[in-house]
Amino acid sequence: MIKAALIFNNHGKPRLTKFFTYYTEEMQQQIIRETFLLLSKREDSVCNFLEGGTLIGGSDFRLVYRHYATLYFVFCVDSSESELGILDLIQVFVETLDRCFENVCELDLIFHMDKVHYILQEIVMGGMVVETNQTEILTHIEAQQRIEKQEAGIFKPSGRMGGAPARALSAAKSMAPNVNLPKLADLQNISLPSFKKL
Amino acid sequence: MPRTGDSMRGLAVFIADIRNCKSREQEKKRINKELANIRSKFKGDKQLDGYQKKKYVCKLLFIFLLGNDVDFGHMEAVDLLASNKYTEKQIGYLFISVMMHHSNDLYKLVIQAIKNDLSSKDPVHICLALTCIANIGTPEMAEEIGDEVPKILTSPDTLHGVKKCAALCLLRLFELKSDKFIHAELSSRLIALLSDQHLGVVTSACSLIQALVTANTVEYKGCVSLAVSRLSRIVSSTDLKDYMYYFIAAPWLSVKLLRLLQSYGQPTDSAVYERLKESLETILNRATDPPKSKKIQHTNAKNAVLFEAINLIIHYDSDAALMVRSCNLLGGFLNSKETNLRYLALESLTKLAVSDFSRKAVMKHQETVVQALKNERDLSVRQRAVDLLYAMCDRDQAEEIVGELLAYLEKADYSIREELVLKIAILAEKFAQDYKWYVDVVLNLIRIAGDYIADEVWYRVTQIVINRDDIQAYAAKTVFEALQAPTCHENMVKVGAYILGEFGNLIAGDERSGPIVQFKLLHSMFHLCSNQTKYILLSTYIKLINLFPEIKGDIEEVLGNDNQLRNSDAEIQQRAMEYTKLSQIASSDLLATVLEEMPQFTERESSLLAKLKKKSNTLVKERDDGDNTSLQNVELSSAPVDVGGSSLLDLESPSGTAEIPEPALESGTPQDSPVLNNYSAPPAAVAAAPPAPAAEPSLLDMFGGAPPATDPTKVQVVTGLIECNEAAQPNFKAFICSRNNGILFENEIIQIGVKSEFTGFEGKLQVFYGNKSPLPLQGFNTTLFISPKDQPSLRLEGQKVTLLISAGAQIPQTIKATAVAAFGETPLLQISFSAAGTAHTMVLRLPLLVNKFCKGTGMGAQDFFMRWKNLNLPAQECQKVFKASRPMDNDLVKGKVQGFGFQVLEGVDPKPDNLVGAGIIVCEGSQVGCLLRLEPSKPAQMYRMTVRSSREGVPELLVNLLSQDL
Repeated sequence: MIKAALIFNNHGKPRLTKFFTYYTEEMQQQIIRETFLLLSKREDSVCNFLEGGTLIGGSDFRLVYRHYATLYFVFCVDSSESELGILDLIQVFVETLDRCFENVCELDLIFHMDKVHYILQEIVMGGMVVETNQTEILTHIEAQQRIEKQEAGIFKPSGRMGGAPARALSAAKSMAPNVNLPKLADLQNISLPSFKKL
Repeated sequence: MPRTGDSMRGLAVFIADIRNCKSREQEKKRINKELANIRSKFKGDKQLDGYQKKKYVCKLLFIFLLGNDVDFGHMEAVDLLASNKYTEKQIGYLFISVMMHHSNDLYKLVIQAIKNDLSSKDPVHICLALTCIANIGTPEMAEEIGDEVPKILTSPDTLHGVKKCAALCLLRLFELKSDKFIHAELSSRLIALLSDQHLGVVTSACSLIQALVTANTVEYKGCVSLAVSRLSRIVSSTDLKDYMYYFIAAPWLSVKLLRLLQSYGQPTDSAVYERLKESLETILNRATDPPKSKKIQHTNAKNAVLFEAINLIIHYDSDAALMVRSCNLLGGFLNSKETNLRYLALESLTKLAVSDFSRKAVMKHQETVVQALKNERDLSVRQRAVDLLYAMCDRDQAEEIVGELLAYLEKADYSIREELVLKIAILAEKFAQDYKWYVDVVLNLIRIAGDYIADEVWYRVTQIVINRDDIQAYAAKTVFEALQAPTCHENMVKVGAYILGEFGNLIAGDERSGPIVQFKLLHSMFHLCSNQTKYILLSTYIKLINLFPEIKGDIEEVLGNDNQLRNSDAEIQQRAMEYTKLSQIASSDLLATVLEEMPQFTERESSLLAKLKKKSNTLVKERDDGDNTSLQNVELSSAPVDVGGSSLLDLESPSGTAEIPEPALESGTPQDSPVLNNYSAPPAAVAAAPPAPAAEPSLLDMFGGAPPATDPTKVQVVTGLIECNEAAQPNFKAFICSRNNGILFENEIIQIGVKSEFTGFEGKLQVFYGNKSPLPLQGFNTTLFISPKDQPSLRLEGQKVTLLISAGAQIPQTIKATAVAAFGETPLLQISFSAAGTAHTMVLRLPLLVNKFCKGTGMGAQDFFMRWKNLNLPAQECQKVFKASRPMDNDLVKGKVQGFGFQVLEGVDPKPDNLVGAGIIVCEGSQVGCLLRLEPSKPAQMYRMTVRSSREGVPELLVNLLSQDL
């Protein structure tokens, strides 16, 4: 079973946290911190599995993770899952994100937190893999998006809503040079490496 | 898909604001402002529309993600569930599954909303509800919605997208309330899902069935053949359209199916197995094919399936060819560039190393593994290498492997040192051909990693040294040398003190390690040590007085020093004081008795293994064999007996010298530590034993009986034989009044011997099974039976034995018994096995009798009669007149009565032929006093026996037992 799916960036800032077993909020935060500490020390050449930290369940649990540019994708799994299988699952997740957001970058995850959740939901449900076929996952998400558009179109004048987040995103990106957050130049690095290379 | 213009501007602005914050404080401030804003909006008079609620709920989600506490908004989220707009519903469910705990009062409303959505016509709404249950299901949901889900799952009209969700939803509900979902009708329909056309449905169903199988293996047996044919179809297909992942057909489903098959043994239907074997072979063959793609995803997916196939092959553990092939493939991975592969290969090889089929094939890679230990950069990979070396170690390789592990220990990460130390100690002990080597290894361990030595490690080495007299001199010499090192770990001092205290005399001939040198060397460490070690050192000093009377003066000076006598630590004070007095008062004979060499430790399960198991439950199981199996509770009393309540009454002791339970003065020394129990106890026990008032208060009485160092409950030993038919067991009688060691049973196939030992309310039996036949005994199994009447009174705990006893071999089994109260029947031991194709079963009585827990006690005539008269209730007495079955010799009878457990009291009964005795049955938490009067009538060859006891029923038990053997 997959106990938790976490995404955080190189500084340990959570970008997605999804727990499939109940932990108190405090525990959740501790688990995220502990996991980040465990992973941030690891070089990229070492193996992608390690025994889970003390918080998330001891030796029966493993963290399976991938590090893409600025983001860590971590799945915490028990011994009933195949490690390589989970590694591939992370890949499917990331590829799907990439297709949905067109060259996904960290900012996409931040501004579309709800969507990231929905995409994960199409892949993992209740801690179990539900679908691995990317085409099917995308079909579902597109269907959802259509409903979303319809509902927005019917109930809200499109002029008021249309393009708002895109504008906000570009606004955020253009503001970036003035703040400590990633500079425009860095944004290229933030975007995930092209998968053809991997 | 473009970034759609669908969502909420306010949210985007808020997120951008947060990201612009320059400091944590600023961010906090902005969040608090937003929280206040949302709160006022929610509380305000103005009715919010769905869009606004959605926006605020989404903001709360974002705030929560950043690690902030959000304690409101739940009601609004629940409102969104009832919306008829998909997007609003969706975010409502998201909020609930991320932030709401089922203790929340609103959960009833959530369940209602889920119910509504389940009955909706719109499949997307059904999916939302099912997903929500799968993520955060509760027992109440299982109760209220449980019946709906199986219907949705098995209905032919359900879309496959919904079916997938329903399967995982049912899985969650099953985990919450398993009994609700186990019935035959459902299981056959669920198994059928494995043949569903849609592979996504099969994947989910596979997870579901995997869980159901663990609860009901038999009912789901049908899934094996379906899983095999599904797997076979996937493996042989080259084009599964959308389910091809980097040229590999449905890798996840293959892995799931292979996992599912591991829930069962090898298929018995040969056609099914052949088909499966074909698939497995195909998977193994593909591993060496040239890759179809250079992408890492391709090899990853391929290997995911391969590793799972190998796991299945290991699980069946039957096909030598497949296993050896697996070994060779995995051996190739050990040199792979991919760290992940090396890690997994080491892990799988560890499993293969314990199978007889593949052991040799694994051994071929020993060198590579050792290299991995030396060169691997990744700690977790090195750890897997350690596991593998531990698993593949055997007698021939032990010295080399232990040497490598010791070398690794010097630079190993601190976090794994303790475990590594345990593993090395276990291997060294298990495969030692020369125990000198073993002693060297353990002392090396202490030298290299003194801080990481668990107590069990040094307990164990002292135990072994005590049990093997061929290495005692060597051990004494080696520790003496080790203690001379300029720096010396405290654990070394402990071992050194212990061993020199016992065997220092063996090296005293050499003047370089003469008595005074040994003492000075030990004492030079004294002030550096913790109190625990000081206790041991003090005990060593008194032992040295016994070994070397010539240095008595020096040692008494140290013991009598104010540093000890007035130490702030009570235990040090006590030991120093008592040892000083002991040394001053006792004669050398007495000293020699009190401080005699430690008796041999009876073999029992290695405490090291137990410790390692506690630390890691990785591979210890598979390494177990015969003498090192885990303790298995054969019989446990179902309800704990309240012994505390009645203990005061039972302490009614005939003489006033009732044994006081050993006080818990062994501060710092764990009760279960085998070495220290005996070693550090003497002062405590000496202090606790009160002088016997009636008898001459000789020193021997004071000391001789009490210290556990000399066995307090001396039980005689006799040889006897039991037959399966317990009605006629002429020789079992011999066990009643006497010893505990002997042959229980013997025929041309098997010999069963027993050794037992009783201390207080605890007894330890070792049963030895020896195979006398030229063939192995297979399916060997033992079961203990306690009479139902005695179930709460007697507790048994025994080790499991190996399934197989090879020809000529003998295996021991340890059984621990605890007398909770006086028990009536002897427990029975059932043994079954098959030899040369014939099944054998036998039932033997174990020589575990209530009187084994009886301890004699002395008292004067006056005392005796007063107590006798007080026990005047009918239920407190039992009398029996019976014919003598043996010559009525006074001394013989006396011997029997004493062997039975009573102390014979001289000069109490005026008639010299009559015999009176007193004893206490020691049970856990209570003690039962018993008095005996035996009147022989030689002319009639009859006895009249009367027993009185404070506890009802006990007199009958004792009379019946004792009369059998007179």
